[in-house]
Amino acid sequence: MNATNIRRLIFLVILLAVALPLIFNIDLTGRVTDETRQMFDNIEMLQSHSILMVSFDFEASSIAEVRPLAEAILEHACRKELRVVGVSLFAEGTALGEQMLAQVAKKHQLQYGVDYVYLGFRPQYVAAILAMGESIVDEYPADYFGNATAVMPIFRDLKNYNQVDLVVSIADGSMPTYWTEYAVARYDVNLEVALTASMATAFYPYLSSGQIKGLTAGLKGAAEYESLLDCKGGGRRGMFAQSVSQSVVILVIIAGNVVEYFNRRRKWK
Amino acid sequence: MEMSTLVAVVCTLAIFSFLYRDNPFYRMAEHILIGLSVGFTLVMLYNSVLVPKLLRPLFLEVDLWGIIPLLLGLTMLARMKRSLAKFSKPALALMIGSGAGLSIPAMFEARILRQLAASVEPFAMVGRGEELSFIFICSMIISLIGVISAMVYFFYTRPDTKLIGSISRTGVYFLMIFFGATFGYTVTSRLTLLIGRMEFLLGDFLSIL
Repeated sequence: MNATNIRRLIFLVILLAVALPLIFNIDLTGRVTDETRQMFDNIEMLQSHSILMVSFDFEASSIAEVRPLAEAILEHACRKELRVVGVSLFAEGTALGEQMLAQVAKKHQLQYGVDYVYLGFRPQYVAAILAMGESIVDEYPADYFGNATAVMPIFRDLKNYNQVDLVVSIADGSMPTYWTEYAVARYDVNLEVALTASMATAFYPYLSSGQIKGLTAGLKGAAEYESLLDCKGGGRRGMFAQSVSQSVVILVIIAGNVVEYFNRRRKWK
Repeated sequence: MEMSTLVAVVCTLAIFSFLYRDNPFYRMAEHILIGLSVGFTLVMLYNSVLVPKLLRPLFLEVDLWGIIPLLLGLTMLARMKRSLAKFSKPALALMIGSGAGLSIPAMFEARILRQLAASVEPFAMVGRGEELSFIFICSMIISLIGVISAMVYFFYTRPDTKLIGSISRTGVYFLMIFFGATFGYTVTSRLTLLIGRMEFLLGDFLSIL
């Protein structure tokens, strides 16, 4: 079998390793990590009607990974009766953020402008983060739908970060770095991050130093969060498929190395 | 079945067809994705920046302050013609200057000072006589070795002695562990994207799940 066919065979095996476990779904959520528990506890400790700012800092390509995280966090916020302010610092995440927030708000029958608001996209994220530290209404005179924010009940006692109890950046890139540099360092904002798995290692130092109050990442993070909420969403649904497909990847890596070892040995001889 | 679901299924399968070999269906889906992303971003920028921040204040509210950013923005377009490129320099200088002024202190504070403080904080705890667990002390020592050895590795003008060479090699091992962990997380991340697409195909399209 030539290299191209072996490659195609591996793709097929990975496809089956994802598809079959999804069909025969088994709940495989393991132990909840300290980081996810810390993130959950920080939201759990907030008083009802506290302000939670959720920043949808991701692009459409990573929706499969960030949607379960976002849905779990928004569900938690609604159960705690927090007031949610949604923003987006990535153009592509804007519509997706609105969709997710509206879906959870509809489920919990939240009132727009009172219990939650979606402010939408602002370019130049550094300027946007800094400007919200002075006045959110000045930075967003109108919300995502063009409604004037100044007259909304939610903004009666919400001027800037001083009234925001917690900011959660749901991100697939380095946006939480800018939240840390500008909102945390300058305005002492309490920041938590929900990330794609590939970004997690970059943000653990910020968690250790206390600049970030909580961190959860990837499908596993979403599954852990869902188990803390005692609900079953995209995270727990996908964990079995992820475990099986990861095992297959590990086996393929081992097999590839063994084959390469014997090929080299044959050449040496 | 909704039309949007059908379009998404066709595009997903067209992208997956690249796994077999490069083909026109894959190319078409790729071009649609890029075109849509650029188009969507342009519309978002028009609606959320140009209209509320420039056009409405300038033409409806007659707030003439908007002329300054408008002129600066227009001079940026002068870069497209070499003989006019010099007119873009003030706008560029303003952007670079304000950007550097904002980011240098912020980065220094968040990425260096706060991280350094966090690295030495455990030793201050020892100094204060706080009771620390054995695992915490071990992890503290490993962290310190990691920080110092990795920094020595990036110190290119170091004297070439045996001791510094072995510290630098230790730094390489720490870096390799970091890269390995990042690679593992990235594989997990990519598999999640595949799971997302499979959930869509099997659930929303075929209604098997």
